[in-house]
Amino acid sequence: MTHLLVMILFAALVSIVFCVVARDTARDRLLYGLKVFAEFVGIGLALAWILYFLPL
Amino acid sequence: MSETKDKTRATADAWLVGAAAWAFPGAGHYLQGKWLRGLLITLVVCGMFAIGLAFGGHLFGLGGKEAGGGGVGASKLLQLPPTIANLGTGILYLVCWASNSGFNDSTEYAKLATFEYGNTFLLVAGLLNYLAMLDAFDIAAGRKP
Repeated sequence: MTHLLVMILFAALVSIVFCVVARDTARDRLLYGLKVFAEFVGIGLALAWILYFLPL
Repeated sequence: MSETKDKTRATADAWLVGAAAWAFPGAGHYLQGKWLRGLLITLVVCGMFAIGLAFGGHLFGLGGKEAGGGGVGASKLLQLPPTIANLGTGILYLVCWASNSGFNDSTEYAKLATFEYGNTFLLVAGLLNYLAMLDAFDIAAGRKP
């Protein structure tokens, strides 16, 4: 399993719990869950590219 | 008078629900008839716990055999936050502790590419269950629908 897939799996599972506890209607939950998932994956990829160019 | 009694009863129920939610992921929601929410929490928390162990992650404890676990002073303090996070999984942690499994931090596991992912999944499973526990408590206390 690649690092990217593990990150996507992690983001998906955490997003499910976040949307279940943070919103009250099904529609709000779905939208919030998708938003949190996209933020997890997007920020993860952005940080990965930033670290790629840093001479660490 | 009756209103005060009802309020005390509701608070006691909320604490009971909170304790059940900690003990078994999703139980706090099941007790209140929130079946779908409870099922999702059970699947996610138990799933992350199982994935964490499958990835070679290990559980933290204050008196275990893991790195620093048997130490004194500062090394024990460093073990405290991850132990609290792991404890969030309730009965899953207790079963592993009772059967002495999942606490092994050998080099064989540490050299796996997924070792740190495993630790992260195990820690976050506990933290998510704390979040679900607070949600169940709030519902029982009448603060949330």
